[in-house]
Amino acid sequence: MVSNTETDSGRAYAPARVRRLTDFELTLPALVLLVLFFVVPVVILLMRSVTEPVPGLGNYVELLGSSTYLRIFTNTFLVSGLVTVVSLLIGFPVAWALAVMPGRAASIVFAILLLSMWTNLLARTYAWMVLLQRTGVINKVLIGLGLIDKPLPLVNNLTGVTIGMTYIMLPFIILPLYGVIKKIDPAILQAAALCGANRWQSLVRVLLPLAMPGMAAGALMVFVMSLGYFVTPALLGGTANMMLAELIAQFVQSLVNWGMGGAAALVLLVVTLALYAVQLRFFGTDRMGGR
Amino acid sequence: MLLNLNRLGWWKLVLFGITVLTTAFLLLPILFIAALSFGSSQWLIFPPPSWTLRWYQELFADPRWLASAWTSFQIAIIVTVLSVLLGLATSFGLTRGRFAFREGLKALFLTPMILPVVVLAVALYAFFLKIGLNGTLTGFVISHLVLALPFSILSIGNALEGFDKSIEDAAVLCGASPLEAKVRVTLPAISHGIFSAAIFSFLTSWDEVVVAIFMSSPTLQTLPVKVWATLRQDLTPVVAAASTLLILLTVLLMVLVAVVRKGLKS
Repeated sequence: MVSNTETDSGRAYAPARVRRLTDFELTLPALVLLVLFFVVPVVILLMRSVTEPVPGLGNYVELLGSSTYLRIFTNTFLVSGLVTVVSLLIGFPVAWALAVMPGRAASIVFAILLLSMWTNLLARTYAWMVLLQRTGVINKVLIGLGLIDKPLPLVNNLTGVTIGMTYIMLPFIILPLYGVIKKIDPAILQAAALCGANRWQSLVRVLLPLAMPGMAAGALMVFVMSLGYFVTPALLGGTANMMLAELIAQFVQSLVNWGMGGAAALVLLVVTLALYAVQLRFFGTDRMGGR
Repeated sequence: MLLNLNRLGWWKLVLFGITVLTTAFLLLPILFIAALSFGSSQWLIFPPPSWTLRWYQELFADPRWLASAWTSFQIAIIVTVLSVLLGLATSFGLTRGRFAFREGLKALFLTPMILPVVVLAVALYAFFLKIGLNGTLTGFVISHLVLALPFSILSIGNALEGFDKSIEDAAVLCGASPLEAKVRVTLPAISHGIFSAAIFSFLTSWDEVVVAIFMSSPTLQTLPVKVWATLRQDLTPVVAAASTLLILLTVLLMVLVAVVRKGLKS
């Protein structure tokens, strides 16, 4: 199964010392690390969902049959879907603007995107906890403007999680979309205009379809990333909007119920991998170019 | 014409308006936290009644904050070194190897990147309970290494794929040993990939919180865990001070990256 490359075997004349490592052997340390501390632990965890407390599918029956857990599944999909839609609605115009902007202005926007992306996740979430609280700046400004009479509940609920998660996901949708739009040949849109299309027609019938593969791929990525988020929903959401990742943590940490924890982990894992498979199947890297 | 700045007409104003607002939205929390960390209000009232360095004093006076920062730094440095070394070996093997299952192996190496972190966190926590690695530096290093390695393999692998191997072969033909050719010809040529790998690995470990929450013990915790635990109690401005220092570090890293990229290009 292991064979040296041609060039490597060509060096056999080198003075006889330690045998040269083959290419496969070079990957062995990382492989051992991953098998031992990634594959094995994850498999053991998933196995426990069908062995504890008694062998069988009892954990799955309980997890998928109870309305409490069903609400958590619904909420997880609801939050991820909302975040994805809002990110797309904001991200598309921004990516488009970036593609037509003069280089200097664009590089400022890129720097800010990177700064926000690279800033510690907890620091960003903390900022939103403070901004959105009852006595926070957002409520004060809204009251000051006379838009509301009393503070809105913006945190520990769906609004809080959606704002906080959209904030985190925006760069992940803007950056790939920018790449896709930048690659579209402006001549195609010129041709549309020459053929008599007005701006709306060009947008709906030319630009959007051309950007669609990038939008779909970006949206799917953001959706999948959101499904497994733990920190931001835990800090900005309320107990009524618990998400799947928090449920897994709760099973393990507070309830010490490894069977249910494993079952919930398997559900999250299966959904995630299935969506990634869709992504690879329909928007494999060769299709990301917007063609 | 939709991709031509001069022919967008009033649409240009709409697009740029949304972009300016979005940029403000992205920047706002970061500036806000930095400002609040100097404000005197315990309840984070904005604008603050007066300015103070009190929260920074509290931060530096508390040995637990310093200890957790030091723990985070140690872990991140060890993870960075190991991740780059393993990433180098693995990328060489994967890029140049012609063995069976190469594609499958590549996919396996990248899986920790796409898997929900909470699953890995819970799985490793259970595993480490059995072998006694929870709450140890080794445990933190191993779990962060699993998370950082994909980024390292990707960065170095990309750089290596863009490097023409015949240049290395030429060095060997000119009398360099294979190892010498790799160290003196190939490594400098892919240094930008190694640099990215190091930065990504460092940040992955330094900012990681989900696995760390499970791994930490009362005596050993990382900075993000300390922030997390504090936030679950209350929104003290001390966290604003800590966050501001973290933001400062981010800015420094970004400047470093920009400078190094420029240096590598010229």
